[in-house]
Amino acid sequence: MHRARRRPRAALLTVAALLLGALLPAVAGAREYLQLFVTEPYLELHTGPGRGYPVFHAVPRDQSVDVLFRRTDWFKVRTERGVEGWASQADMLKTVLADGSPFKFELGDQAGFSAHRYELGVFGGEYGGANLLSAYWSVSLNPQLAVEAAAGQFLGRFANGETGDLGFTHVISPESRWSPLLMLGVGIAHTEPKATLVTPSNRTEQTAYAGGGIRYYLTRRFFLRLEYKAHYIFTKRNENEEEDEWKLGFAFFY
Amino acid sequence: METRIRVLLLTAALAVLPGCATVRGWFHHGHKSAPAAGADAGSAAASDDTTPPRVIEPQVERRQIKVPRIRSSNVELGLFYGALSIEDFGTNPVYGVTAAYHITEDFFFQGEAGRSRGGRTSFETLSGNIQLLTEAERRFTYYDLSLGYNFLPGEAFIGRGVAMTSAFYLLGGFGATDFAGDTKFTVNFGGGYRVVPADWLALHVTVQDHVFQTSLLGVTKLTNNIEARMGATVFF
Repeated sequence: MHRARRRPRAALLTVAALLLGALLPAVAGAREYLQLFVTEPYLELHTGPGRGYPVFHAVPRDQSVDVLFRRTDWFKVRTERGVEGWASQADMLKTVLADGSPFKFELGDQAGFSAHRYELGVFGGEYGGANLLSAYWSVSLNPQLAVEAAAGQFLGRFANGETGDLGFTHVISPESRWSPLLMLGVGIAHTEPKATLVTPSNRTEQTAYAGGGIRYYLTRRFFLRLEYKAHYIFTKRNENEEEDEWKLGFAFFY
Repeated sequence: METRIRVLLLTAALAVLPGCATVRGWFHHGHKSAPAAGADAGSAAASDDTTPPRVIEPQVERRQIKVPRIRSSNVELGLFYGALSIEDFGTNPVYGVTAAYHITEDFFFQGEAGRSRGGRTSFETLSGNIQLLTEAERRFTYYDLSLGYNFLPGEAFIGRGVAMTSAFYLLGGFGATDFAGDTKFTVNFGGGYRVVPADWLALHVTVQDHVFQTSLLGVTKLTNNIEARMGATVFF
């Protein structure tokens, strides 16, 4: 009974952590809309935020649009006549502000990869011989240093459990496609041994980790991460334990 | 020979150019050396040096454009309800929450958690009072992290006046399932259809398979647990 009740809580916590990570930048929104002027012969408006949605309206040169909000690489805009539609990032780059200066925004390309604020990713791998699923969210303090929180669940033949880590990640060369990473931090590990012969009890222990890895920029906002972490588990028994964590993950920045 | 002449000319040019730079100095020096040339001559020399007075003083202040922050709306949160067929344990209602982040127009990242309850196996039904699992162990809870891919974008129409954008999507990921007193590594894959009636709202129909290995009934086997559900999500 006790076990059955714990699980959903862990799952909900993971989802909540992911939500929090994704929501934070979206919360602060301004109600005042940005006005942009069309400098190309026309600006095409699509019915939806994707290249597959048809063009249904064209805004002629020198007319303005108000930018309502952005979804992925598309901008929802409203024309002077009140027509609302979606304009692509590539087209919006050719518009200007009221003072004639070009409209600039974060593009989500390799330049953004070198210096971004948030990262979110998932990993699959191995933790002390058990299958590991984990997710992480990080906030960059500068292009090289980030604070990173990770939550994981390991499922093995002899034990199941959860891990939580909080630490610093140092990116050695943020501007290049490949970059080594160094990691240092602390965490907790909750282990539930599977009762077969003896009845061991569940335990929650503090951990510390040091690790390294590689990140590789794929395209757009995506990159891969391969990591190794050496965990030192501070037990209440006579000897401390060490667990190795290997994982490969897929992440994006925003 | 030609090179030598060129070098000679360049040397000469180098020698002359710094000298030319002082020409302006010579000019002023000439004026300074004649201070008693009269008031008119003096003022003329002074006006040579300063910029001419402006005919019109512009009263226009340059407009400062404040660039408001553009709101991003990439997060989708929602609830779902449907039916889950738990292998050997019948089909039962399932409910849960989803959270998605749209990374590009093609890809999104989704986390979800759901709960259902396993029914009685045929063996339990036939044999009367035998219970394979306790009531608590029948609770089926899963979570997963998936990557989604949008394809076939289009529009759905209601009558003549209403058009809503829509898309099909594929989902694949991994997670964990807690069922029958154990937690199992689970792979999920499936697809769905999303209709967006308003910028902030989306309606989903999703079918997914949750596959995990279990040895609950004596033999180790992969179980397929297919889920069909409807959901509503809100964009933030």
